[in-house]
Amino acid sequence: MDKGNVLEVRGLSKQYKKGVYASEKVTFDVRKGEIFALIGPNGAGKTTTIRMIATLLQATEGDAQVSGHSILTEPEKVRRCITYLPDEAGAYKTMKGIDYLRFMAELYAENKEEAEKYVATGREICELGDRLNDKIASYSRGMQRKLLLARAIMSRPDLAILDEPTSGLDIINALEIRRMIKKLAMDGMSFLLSSHNMLEIEYVSDRVGIIAGGHLLETGTPAELIGKYRADNLEDVFELVVMKKDMEG
Amino acid sequence: MKFKTLFIKELREMLNLQTLMVMIISVLVLSLAGQTMAKAVRDNAETMMDINICDQDGTAFTENMIKILKANLAKYGGRVNVVEIESDDYPKELKKADVKSVLIIPAGFTENVKNSECAEVKSVQRLTSLASMSNLNAGSQTAVEYLTAAVKEVVFGSKVSANKLTNSEVEFLNQPLVLKETTVVTDKSYDVQASVIVQMCSVQAMLVPIVLFVLVMMSSNMILNAISTEKVDKTLETLLSTPVSRISVITAKMLSAAVVAAMQAAVYMFGARHMMNGIINTTDNSDYSEAMKALGLTMNAGQYALVGVQMFLSILIALSVALILGVLASDAKTAQTMTLPIMMCTMIPYMLSMFIDIKTLSPVTKYLVYAIPFTHSFMASENAMFGNLNVYAGGLVYQVVFLAVCLFVALRIFMSDRIFTMSIGGGKRRGRTSE
Repeated sequence: MDKGNVLEVRGLSKQYKKGVYASEKVTFDVRKGEIFALIGPNGAGKTTTIRMIATLLQATEGDAQVSGHSILTEPEKVRRCITYLPDEAGAYKTMKGIDYLRFMAELYAENKEEAEKYVATGREICELGDRLNDKIASYSRGMQRKLLLARAIMSRPDLAILDEPTSGLDIINALEIRRMIKKLAMDGMSFLLSSHNMLEIEYVSDRVGIIAGGHLLETGTPAELIGKYRADNLEDVFELVVMKKDMEG
Repeated sequence: MKFKTLFIKELREMLNLQTLMVMIISVLVLSLAGQTMAKAVRDNAETMMDINICDQDGTAFTENMIKILKANLAKYGGRVNVVEIESDDYPKELKKADVKSVLIIPAGFTENVKNSECAEVKSVQRLTSLASMSNLNAGSQTAVEYLTAAVKEVVFGSKVSANKLTNSEVEFLNQPLVLKETTVVTDKSYDVQASVIVQMCSVQAMLVPIVLFVLVMMSSNMILNAISTEKVDKTLETLLSTPVSRISVITAKMLSAAVVAAMQAAVYMFGARHMMNGIINTTDNSDYSEAMKALGLTMNAGQYALVGVQMFLSILIALSVALILGVLASDAKTAQTMTLPIMMCTMIPYMLSMFIDIKTLSPVTKYLVYAIPFTHSFMASENAMFGNLNVYAGGLVYQVVFLAVCLFVALRIFMSDRIFTMSIGGGKRRGRTSE
């Protein structure tokens, strides 16, 4: 594994039944401190790829290494290096926000002190103040998402996998989160994002992977891709790549 | 118009395929249980008028009485089976004669009748179950009525017609026979009416099944909700992506539900024992409570422990089955429907054990009912009280094997992709997970 890479994905495939691939031979890298975004239409294989990297689904072919650990042979070590925030993820509604942060922190931390450090970081990131002492059931969707994001980031993992990180957040909160992701990446944390929001991806990502029909069709920086396809923005690139794939059958 | 639109929308949501399936399965299962019970009632009715009689007096008078008895009972489809009872060791004698009950005409019966002295008839009945239909025997009661009539006929024939009736003979005619009843349970016997013992035990016999039914439903609901809510709220994905093993996640869920269920079981059993002691030890019932103790029908700590073990196993089985079913639920409505199989499998043995002695069912039906793992826990208190240790041990082994299989399946599902891809209801799951 290249020392500069946090994630190396090599020929990763998920076959549900013979001939039906949700994801086929996907290969890409995420470097240390890099924000890599997977974009694609619904059913393209983004979530399946992400779930395989998060060790939730078992790959039928290929492998991926996170900080030098294989998702196939060392899934528990991989989980120590990552955090995963699923799209539309929920939190335990009967818990108070602060208790949720503490519960999750204790699953990642080696000791009580480390857990408390994570909680303090999480409290700072989510900016929920006293509302952290309220039950999560009373939170708005945006508040819940901020809490979940704080949970995903507070332990400073090698790789944070965020599926639609700003969904449900208003413009101001979404901007804050994007800035935070960029700042954390500058500090050395790597991100694997998945999003439908092309503006967000263009703003926040260092590199982009366009996925459709289970295949990774293009990778590059937003500027490279825009230049390659002589497009105005990433949205146009996305449309051209997906249309080309559809035309090729 | 607007109301109609609202009403149709609500009706459509409530009366979905799952609700209809629940209705159809409920009808099928309940009618199956009904058929089993109907057959048991028919079988019982066929033998209800049969009696076993032992003539220890052996006079022409008693032989004649038995002949008349045979003729009279035959009118109602009853048969009189003459058996030999040689001693007062009734548990042994009933076993030897291979009968559940016997009416004994003791030696000196004819002599007493001739002397216009109250004659004694003994009724001995073995209790093998506390199910309400297992101890029905109208034959003995009818036999006593016919014997009384026969005695009266003799007295009337020989004395009333001769106008030689004394005051004591008139008194004798009011009650020519005294029925002395003995109840046998396993190898113990006590001079007490079997029906009273059954009534006394029914509280104890019904309490455990009710407690068990509640516990199985509560614990399975707990784990089913825990799993399905995690799936539906997508907290399970987050949890399983943390640095903890899936076995830890499943064990923590099972263990916490089992601890709560065990606490509930202990509290209920503690309460039940005190309630039973309260009922049995009241002054009014002191004679009967003595009889129950003598017959071994008051459960001791060891017997409560045996019942507790099977109850706990049932709870664990319910938990592991609920765990599997919880994985299948894709939404809250489906999760609720998922409790149906557990509810049905609990209701069938619950109802059957209340009315009939499951051990006496036809082999096919019996083993079908035995295949439901909860059956053995419903039978546990009866097995403990009546010393059916073979049935108890067999049930225990079956429950342990069943639990092991369920846990294995649950673990396999939890350790694989199926935890995310398996589902019932809520549309095509894979399409949603394979974006």
